[in-house]
Amino acid sequence: MKPEGQGSIISRISRALSNYDYLAGVYALLVIIITIIGIVSLPFLAYEDVQVYPKHIDRSSPLDPYDRGGTPFNTTAVHAQYPDNSPYLGYVTAYLTPLSQFMADGSHHLGTTIVSHPGGIIDEILYNTRGLDTVVETSILFVAFTIAAYLFRRKD
Amino acid sequence: MNSLAVPAIGGAELHVIEFGDIVNYFSPYTAMLFAFAVLFTVIAIVSRPERQVDIAFGGDAYYTKDIQPEQLKFQRFMAIACGLATLGAVVSGDVFNFTLFTSMVGITNIGIVAAYKNRHVLNAAFQYGIVAMIATVPLFGGAAIILATTGTLSMWELFGSAIAVPLIAKAFLVLGVMGEGMAPFYVAKAEITRAPGAPYVLIIHVSSLLLFLRVVEIVLSM
Repeated sequence: MKPEGQGSIISRISRALSNYDYLAGVYALLVIIITIIGIVSLPFLAYEDVQVYPKHIDRSSPLDPYDRGGTPFNTTAVHAQYPDNSPYLGYVTAYLTPLSQFMADGSHHLGTTIVSHPGGIIDEILYNTRGLDTVVETSILFVAFTIAAYLFRRKD
Repeated sequence: MNSLAVPAIGGAELHVIEFGDIVNYFSPYTAMLFAFAVLFTVIAIVSRPERQVDIAFGGDAYYTKDIQPEQLKFQRFMAIACGLATLGAVVSGDVFNFTLFTSMVGITNIGIVAAYKNRHVLNAAFQYGIVAMIATVPLFGGAAIILATTGTLSMWELFGSAIAVPLIAKAFLVLGVMGEGMAPFYVAKAEITRAPGAPYVLIIHVSSLLLFLRVVEIVLSM
């Protein structure tokens, strides 16, 4: 067996790769290479104008940037990929609780709060057409909290 | 409901589950992956952890490595969560939903290995955790590029020949799954599997392999 740092190129590469301290570096190198290719190919990518989830920003609305329009207690036209699967699409988008309505009338920045007002600010898309995404996102958070709690409470 | 593109790599759809715009489906390919994930989740639920024995050479002495009940419970919970996330990912019919489940698999994998106290396992798990955290950027970046350039996230639309998905988005997606599932990076895994507690550690391998098989199908179909 040849000593460390010798041998063919392949055996040198595989010896370097077998050290897990280099793992993050190797992966970061891959990410950098692909990102550079992505930046070079950026002029060839075109933004698709026909989006399933369009976003119109009305800067003058107090609910900016989350205002999706519509009148409360009425259906609002909300585009979806498969409208047949979401029979109640467009019912919650314009609704604000009385308290939220009061704050929206008095302030221009209700849309910047992260408080979950039923309807209005809460994205209709997340609740009605992409509900499973919301479920998985919260599951990820709960799992992360579980890990943190276990590691914190572990007796070492 | 429309159907998958005719020469679908994974076969025609057998069963469709609708969650609004997210329409999951079973094809012969994804149903097989699903069955594997169910099998290994059940194994993680019912089996007892292995107990490694080190025999002192040249004598009768031996050491058994014990697993504390708290660690056992935590790792079993993480293994089941990992199995469920894998179940969701292999049958997902939506690119963003797939990336979310993939990210959940990565986090549960970190949870499984983070429960150990062996120094060499934790050293490898640390590198693994960094890679999994970096991987979320290309993973969700790939999904974002797909949404921006095609206007949709549903695989039912993307698998059709009418929509061309840019190569860079596919590359980002594969790179993200590589980092989350660690499918090609076996260096860290070799260290991790030296830890006791077989069924829970092995679900890391199973989930990453199933995810990689699924992302290859997605990328080839798009």
